Amino acid sequence: MDFEFSVAERAFADEVRAFLRADPLDRFALDGMDAGYGSGAHSRAFMKALGERGWIRMCWPEAFGGEAKPMFFKLVLFEELALAGAPFGPLAGSWQTADAIIEYGSERLRRDVLAAVARGEATFWQGYSEPDAGSDLLALKTEARRDGDDYVIRGHKIWSSHAGIATHGLVFTRTSREARRSRGFSMFVVPNGTPGMDIRPIRSLTGGVYHYEVFLDDVRVPAELRLGPEGEGFQALLNGLDSDRFWGRFYKAPALERVLRRLVDHANATGASKDAGLRRRLAAMATEIAALRLLFYRAACLLRDGAPITYETAMAKVYADETGQKLARLGMDLLGPWAPLRAGSREAPLGGEISHAYLTSLGHTIAGGTAEVLRTTVAVRGLGLPAEPRRA
Amino acid sequence: MDFRPSSAQQLLISTAREFLRKHCPPELAQRIALDPRGVDDGLWRRMAELGWQGLLVPADLGGSGGSLLDVILLIEEMGRAGAPGPFVPSAVVATCALLSAGTAEHKKRLLPAMAAGERIVGVALGDAGNTLEIDPHGWLTGRALFVEAAHVADAFIVAARAGAERRLLLLPADRAGLAHHPLEAIGPEKIFELACDAVALRPDDRLEPAAARRAALQAGALARTAEMVGAAQRVLEMAVEHAKTRVQGGRPIGGHQAIQHACADLVRDVDASRGLLYAAAWNASEGAPAAADVAMAKAYAGEACLAVARRGHQIFGAIGYCEEHPLHLLHKRIHAASVDCGDVAVHLEEVARAIGLSA
Repeated sequence: MDFEFSVAERAFADEVRAFLRADPLDRFALDGMDAGYGSGAHSRAFMKALGERGWIRMCWPEAFGGEAKPMFFKLVLFEELALAGAPFGPLAGSWQTADAIIEYGSERLRRDVLAAVARGEATFWQGYSEPDAGSDLLALKTEARRDGDDYVIRGHKIWSSHAGIATHGLVFTRTSREARRSRGFSMFVVPNGTPGMDIRPIRSLTGGVYHYEVFLDDVRVPAELRLGPEGEGFQALLNGLDSDRFWGRFYKAPALERVLRRLVDHANATGASKDAGLRRRLAAMATEIAALRLLFYRAACLLRDGAPITYETAMAKVYADETGQKLARLGMDLLGPWAPLRAGSREAPLGGEISHAYLTSLGHTIAGGTAEVLRTTVAVRGLGLPAEPRRA
Repeated sequence: MDFRPSSAQQLLISTAREFLRKHCPPELAQRIALDPRGVDDGLWRRMAELGWQGLLVPADLGGSGGSLLDVILLIEEMGRAGAPGPFVPSAVVATCALLSAGTAEHKKRLLPAMAAGERIVGVALGDAGNTLEIDPHGWLTGRALFVEAAHVADAFIVAARAGAERRLLLLPADRAGLAHHPLEAIGPEKIFELACDAVALRPDDRLEPAAARRAALQAGALARTAEMVGAAQRVLEMAVEHAKTRVQGGRPIGGHQAIQHACADLVRDVDASRGLLYAAAWNASEGAPAAADVAMAKAYAGEACLAVARRGHQIFGAIGYCEEHPLHLLHKRIHAASVDCGDVAVHLEEVARAIGLSA
């Protein structure tokens, strides 16, 4: 056992902290809503700054312009950025897409898209869900029809985060009708602005825009933009979703720790820290956040060591999201009548961060696999309980 | 970072599991739990032959000089098997207190015999129910509650007030004025009131520094956490097995989402408790400041492992309500462990201070 970072990991953490000190965060323009996951707002300026330091591509193989750094460097970067409250919104998605392109992308994707990812310029939206395909993703209707060297995509995607400000969509489509439910799907990397693509914002209950719906009306894309072999997209999607549970939630624990510190400061300043009940709730939150962090590091060690993952990331994702909801709820209690004041309000405590977190956290146990679907995954895949019979 | 026990630790774990499967089956745990004495001398002796009671004792005092982390991994297995006996108070808390505050003579007199399983030392170090006071003439009066296995202890380590000061004392069980009275509890542990009626103290009763009490309680808190994690792991395994094999309405109850989701929460509670336990035990073993980590681990397991036991009852249904079913013993063991060496409230207050909440 060893619960310490290596010398190289600690040195890298120092480097990241030095960068955060030298470049105050308010220097970076924000261009998209903070959805509360812990990765902050969408800031292309910040992504470019990460790109300039080589930190987006650092773990890629050298043949793809990377430095083949160990995976834990990404965790160190995430943890430091989240503790600082930096706006690295699209980073996890960029890393995941890059990994998929490195694994099974065409020459063209590797040449054009990868380099733009490394510079922090290319970011991605996920075109998975559809109005009638949510938890039952395989019920999707969007089709990609082969036409010579191209595909023509037709369908309707929804709940795509940051689709209006990202540069490419990862569009999950049906490319053939096959008997087996999981066959016949393909993924495409479609540049925003391709003719026939209509991206419309969905205003959320926060008042801001995070999600979009995307209408694809005979969108023509070259076959080289298909990610992986035709018809094998489902496995790629599953890998992506699995990986999303880990990479898209890893930074939640440090992000929650940052919020907890703010709540502790607030409780000390107002004298609420003397209340025995509140002390216990805040202390219990600190232990839950510490437990959450370790669940993710354990999953990280399994990933690093190539050990099989069955339930660990699904469980950690649910725990991350439920812990985040609990912290936001506690924050609202602590702030009392001030709690509902939003960012921009003259009297808003903590810059309105808590009321925003309270609202955004409602979506977290739904997005990327609902808590219910994932608990079933833990039970069936992790514990070996019998799957519920599927209706045909 | 690495969550895996070392190969030596893995050997310790697998040896312990195999030994307990053979020598401490559920029937034995059940029989000893219902027995008024509550100690199986044969099991205690066999454990000593394997060096368990001496795991924390240095080699020159008859032990094997293991780390706190080693003993935590061992106790997790003992918790899983519901092993009876005063292992935590004697082989962990008293042993730690003697190692850090005993004189050379104390250590030589007791530790080799404790390691050999021939002596048991009880502890009364907690604040709850402790009114022990040393008067200006050096007489010890008052009582300590919740002292485990006082009926089989050869000596006690007790915390007592002397004015504003706190002292740590080592008292032989047969000292005049010392008596123990059983406190009947719901669980398998035998706990007692230790009553002191004008006990005459001798100079060599003193253990110094008295602050060693804190480190000993910290080791005890880790040990109790390990016990909870082991017992909760067993509840999880039993509940999942039951969910797979208990058929109602033509299919296993584990095929229903209501039971699946309950089982998913069990594994989360056990895994999260174990993560905090290992991190805290590793820190403590490395000599790093671990007070806040230990408090987090104990407070968390006290809630989460108890939740596992309670939900286990719901999954098992009526059969879990029977005395002959092992579930209630694991449940009671978890609860007893959750309140010993600092209950959830005590440890959360420690965490509250550690995260900077001003009082």
